[in-house]
Amino acid sequence: MREMLPFGPGVFAWGLVTGVAMVKSGLSIVESLGLSLLAYAGSAQLAALPLMAVFAPLWLVTLAAIIVNLRFVVYAALLRSHLGHLSANTRLWLGYFTGDVMFARYSALLAEEPDYPHRVAYFTGGATANWIIWQVSSIIGIFAAGAIPTSWGLELAGTFALLALLIPLCRHRPAQGGVAVAVIVAVIAHDLPLRLGLLAATLAGMTAAIALERRLRSPAT
Amino acid sequence: MDETLYIWSAILGVTAATFIARSSVLLLGERLQLPPTVESALRYAPACALAAIVANDLLFTAGALDLSLHNPRWLAGGVAIIIFAATRSTIGVIVGGMVAFWLLRAWFSG
Repeated sequence: MREMLPFGPGVFAWGLVTGVAMVKSGLSIVESLGLSLLAYAGSAQLAALPLMAVFAPLWLVTLAAIIVNLRFVVYAALLRSHLGHLSANTRLWLGYFTGDVMFARYSALLAEEPDYPHRVAYFTGGATANWIIWQVSSIIGIFAAGAIPTSWGLELAGTFALLALLIPLCRHRPAQGGVAVAVIVAVIAHDLPLRLGLLAATLAGMTAAIALERRLRSPAT
Repeated sequence: MDETLYIWSAILGVTAATFIARSSVLLLGERLQLPPTVESALRYAPACALAAIVANDLLFTAGALDLSLHNPRWLAGGVAIIIFAATRSTIGVIVGGMVAFWLLRAWFSG
């Protein structure tokens, strides 16, 4: 849990913004609390709001949320080999509690210490801390929605927290190349609906990184 | 369908989406074998996903690409990277980045 604390302010600000956004889009306080406590999905919650506001079909709301969450399918594919020995029930809940920040910290740990013995405890503790910070800040946001102007740009605090996670992951050449490609694709694909550009950028970056890794490893010809 | 029922159904839909996206692959567990290339490519997933999110947040203002010197977002991002290189402090990046953003914005609009 201690590992998560430096990211507290970022997660906190992002939760606060999501809480404010839910109320401002017309949900009641109880409905906002329900969405936050049950769905626990920052960007998917935000993506669902405009659809709910126009009474879009339920299947569309659900599908949109799944698509916004697609990057977690990629995350889970990596976690699978580390947590695969746990019971199905445990895996169900660990998956649910996987946030962006938690996942990045965990993969940074594995890069340094692939056989870290307490990894399940590490993961559980970090995920719990993330969930608590997120929910507390969302709830404050829900109740303080009237008092916090959107012009503060508080959501940027979340962005800076992600930036702090990103930099240490860029130590090696393949990762740097992948990140560069991901940024370019993200900019080009920015206008795709449902944050599909994010998924496209991630996949393109991964492909570039692995291609670069191969080139660097093979003897010079 | 009345409004309250609709909203709560939608909330449950988004909740189901969280579980489906995050847990389904974990539940498949060892039954699903991925090619080794895909397994090693996955190690780069977090860096690439984070880079894409951050790029979207910093390089765009009001939905349009803005790489000019009048966009306080990516300039503040640059300041944040320098702070991280110098201090290795996450809180420094968050607080310093926000302060830089507010100062730059006030400067550009003032």
